[in-house]
Amino acid sequence: MKLTIHEIAQSLYLPLGTVRRWIRQGRIPIHKSGNGFVFNEAILSKWAAAHHLTFSPPKKSPEKQQDPELETLSSALKRGGVFYDIKGDDGASTLKAAVEHINVLDSHAKEKLYQRLLERENLTSTGIGKGVAIPHPHNPLPDADFRPFITTCFLEKPIEFAALDNKPVFVMFILLCPSVKSHLYLLSRLAFCIRDDSFVEFLKTFPSSDRLLLKIADFEEQLDRADRY
Amino acid sequence: MEAQLFHIFRNNPFGRETLLQSIYFCKKMGASPVVYIPKFTKFLMYFENDVVQIDLDSSYLSSPDTAISHATELLEEGGLSVRFFEPKHYTATTLPDIHTNFDYMACPRSISDLSTKIGLGYIGPKVRRIVNSARFPVLITSPVYKEWDRIAVFFGGSANAVNALKLGFRISRETGLPLDVFTYVGKVSLESYEQVIKDENLKKEMDYFVNKWHIFEKGIFEENLYEVPHTALVILGAYGHGLIKNFVFGSKMEKIQSTISNNLLIVGPNYVATS
Amino acid sequence: MRIFKSWRYPASWKFFRLDDRLLLMLMAVIVGLCSGLAALALNRSLIAMFNWLHKYHHIWWAFVLPGIGAALSSLFLEKVVVEGAGHGVPEVIYSVSRYGGLLRFRSSYSRLISSCLTIGSGGSAGPEAPVVMSGAAIGSNIAKYFSLNDRQRVTLVGCGAAGAISSIFNAPIAGMVFSIEVILGEWKSVNIVPIAIAAVAGTEISRILQGNQIVFSHLQFNIDLLDIFACLGLAILTAVASIVLTRMLRSMYGISHKISAPIWVRAAVGGCAVGIIGLFLPVVLGEGYHAVQAMIGGTFSQGLALVAIATLAKVVATALTLGWGGSGGIFAPCLVIGSLAGLTYHHCLILLWPSISWVNEGCFALLGMAGLISGMLQAPLTGIFLIVEITGGYEVILPLIIVSAISTSLCHYIEPASFYLKELVERGHLLRPGTDARVLSDLNVREIIEEDCITVKQNMLLRDFINIIKISPRNYFPVEDEKTNNFLGIIHLDDIRAYLFNPDMYDAVVLGQIMDTKVDVVHPDDDLSEVLRKMDAHQLFSMPVVSNNKFLGLISKATILDQYRKELVVQTSQ
Repeated sequence: MKLTIHEIAQSLYLPLGTVRRWIRQGRIPIHKSGNGFVFNEAILSKWAAAHHLTFSPPKKSPEKQQDPELETLSSALKRGGVFYDIKGDDGASTLKAAVEHINVLDSHAKEKLYQRLLERENLTSTGIGKGVAIPHPHNPLPDADFRPFITTCFLEKPIEFAALDNKPVFVMFILLCPSVKSHLYLLSRLAFCIRDDSFVEFLKTFPSSDRLLLKIADFEEQLDRADRY
Repeated sequence: MEAQLFHIFRNNPFGRETLLQSIYFCKKMGASPVVYIPKFTKFLMYFENDVVQIDLDSSYLSSPDTAISHATELLEEGGLSVRFFEPKHYTATTLPDIHTNFDYMACPRSISDLSTKIGLGYIGPKVRRIVNSARFPVLITSPVYKEWDRIAVFFGGSANAVNALKLGFRISRETGLPLDVFTYVGKVSLESYEQVIKDENLKKEMDYFVNKWHIFEKGIFEENLYEVPHTALVILGAYGHGLIKNFVFGSKMEKIQSTISNNLLIVGPNYVATS
Repeated sequence: MRIFKSWRYPASWKFFRLDDRLLLMLMAVIVGLCSGLAALALNRSLIAMFNWLHKYHHIWWAFVLPGIGAALSSLFLEKVVVEGAGHGVPEVIYSVSRYGGLLRFRSSYSRLISSCLTIGSGGSAGPEAPVVMSGAAIGSNIAKYFSLNDRQRVTLVGCGAAGAISSIFNAPIAGMVFSIEVILGEWKSVNIVPIAIAAVAGTEISRILQGNQIVFSHLQFNIDLLDIFACLGLAILTAVASIVLTRMLRSMYGISHKISAPIWVRAAVGGCAVGIIGLFLPVVLGEGYHAVQAMIGGTFSQGLALVAIATLAKVVATALTLGWGGSGGIFAPCLVIGSLAGLTYHHCLILLWPSISWVNEGCFALLGMAGLISGMLQAPLTGIFLIVEITGGYEVILPLIIVSAISTSLCHYIEPASFYLKELVERGHLLRPGTDARVLSDLNVREIIEEDCITVKQNMLLRDFINIIKISPRNYFPVEDEKTNNFLGIIHLDDIRAYLFNPDMYDAVVLGQIMDTKVDVVHPDDDLSEVLRKMDAHQLFSMPVVSNNKFLGLISKATILDQYRKELVVQTSQ
């Protein structure tokens, strides 16, 4: 196999200078040949394993890796869907009704999720004030094999949710993520939106799914700008 | 990382010309000079697969007390940061080692002979060996300080010539100066040169950077060199290998440097192109 | 044409690419033969020169001969081949440890000629170190010609040294052990096999051309228990002699360098002084193998006083020759001084306990040699095997081991670095494979620099900076000047944590006010050991790398550890 030194350095996860020096010093089974470097793939990967190094030769068609960070709030919201007039008199029954709407999961998973949400609510309420609650499980779901999503549920009537400011809750964002990292990321973004009073007022108008997503996209643009700076 | 040019300072008028030339090169290229003021007449350069002992003539050691101030003065005049090279390792007590992680090195046409001999027509054997083993291009300065405002690449089709051409593109990009390519068509046809360009995927750059491709088809090689502008930095590859050697400018390096007095930037066979 | 070209790149042949051991063995034969021939050439020319000058030795001005020889040899080294003086072994070890054994081509013959001039004319020095230098340079240049890599080149340098020693002493094991113990300092089968082959090749070429003769033949020895006890005393005596020789060499070197005369004048003065000593005690002249032969054979019939004086005289003569600019090694003088010391000791024993029947004096001469070689080189194995092989006397092995071991440890106690290594140790250049110093010297700042730091401008508000902190993977933020992009200082998150949570400060503070400007910086060309020393001294975990006032990146201890470990694993396995 013949590669350039840059490709070799990349596939061994080593600095370029180190690889070049090791080849010169004869510490690595790679030979210089003209402008490229030749090696036997099997021998090199054996060598790498013996020296606690990782070797993954560059793929012909590099798979595009999905970075969980790239997941935006809007796409998570879109994936979760927006639902209106969720029935229920107290926290538990409302959650139960809300979970039923999540069409991404099968019934078994729904039941499990419901139990988890209840456990989390027993710890402290996820009602973060201003009539908004963000129910989520304490830990990411095990055997989670899905992209993160947020299901938006506007309630039929506000309910007591033991929220921080004791205001009754009229909207729930059920947040489900496969990893803690994406969970925190989405949660902080959502919290940023809710901190804005005008957004809460906007929510109180029970906006349509499209309008909600548009609004959220606006907020995200602001956030992205701040991040990029 | 900033490019570094290695310069061995000779504290006499001739050395001043060379240093001025290096400073000019650095300013054009945005490189920073590293100046070595020798304390011994010899030093070793350890390359990848060769060690070269450079024996300087004694004029390099003359008046050591003024050397630093002279060099500093010239560098500051040029508006460049002053950095002197202090050898850290010694092979023997009077034999310092000089590492070779530089991006360019400036050499007079010969560094181990008396300056009176230095004129045209002769590249010292040490300079030749440096060119041969170095991973960096070697700037062979003109006998007197000479500014340049264009670039001329000699392209003869060998791997080194291709490297020289790429270096020419890079310098043209960094300095914004026009680039001319010169080819002396010997026994082989012009098409084979174009084929080399195509094989190396250089067609686009060729069209973009090159001002004019001068082709010499007849006449004696040296006579054609009159066409090379006297204010050009001449870039060429040295020492083609094997078969290609026959129709390469590489073997013509000596002819070129003995005929024209321009500044030469020579790319050796071990040159590693850095982007 | 292609085939013609590729024969210079055997390492890229498919046959050798899988495993270079075969290639190395093949090369080892070539290198062993070449360096063996070089050693023989020196040996032959020494004999020729000795015979040629022999007829002048009775003339009264014969004492200037060593002076002329030494002056010529230093002129040759200084002006013709432009190499430094010295015997060259430290240079070989240095190059092996730092530059993969790259040696100049001229080294492969320069020392041969210069030492031939010094020794042939009567200077007290040995031909072994020059031969080792030549052999090593031959190995290195053969490796260079075939474009081998550093590891292979180092092995061939060892092969060259082994071939040379094997050939000059007709002693394959000694050559092998010397090369591994002194030159390479690493016992690995990848090295040992080719070096053994080179030693065999070197020995064989010498046997073909010179005949299989043992250098110093000897009588049968019957060693009693009492003799073994007596060895303890001899070991101490040889240790003292080694230390005296080492100190004397150094002080002579110091004295001669205080004199501001041209180098060849110094050499001439030293040589003439040796010549004058030689007028009275001819045993000090030359490499002295005849004298050693006589002493082992028991035919060196001199009294105690004379032998003791001869011992000292040889020490002084060696110091005069080598310290004042002559060219040659320490090996042969060690053998002579050792056997003289052994003889002295034997005479003392007889004087003190005349009734006991001590073993033959030749045996003590032999043990003395081993003691001195081990003491000077601090290489006990080399001492033991060399003496066993050059005398063919396996029966002395027990006292030999005792004397070598004690002499080595005593010398090590007083002079921690051996004669060959002292210069390197003093400069901090002794980098044996697999050691901390070696790993650090191979790594450099450019390899461990982390370039994912986000740089900020000095007039940025703290408010804007907060947003940068959010996305930065690091806790360090280099601050640059707006216009020149020069590095001004660095902000460490730990230092500004207090203001971070105080929104009132957000618009009140610019980064230029809170950055740390008194930071230690690293230059990309700095040695890593130096960088680590700085870090330890100031209890730092990260340092910015700055060149020409521009920030290049950060180096941190975590990355150093990571790379250090990889480097160590790669360097020590094989």
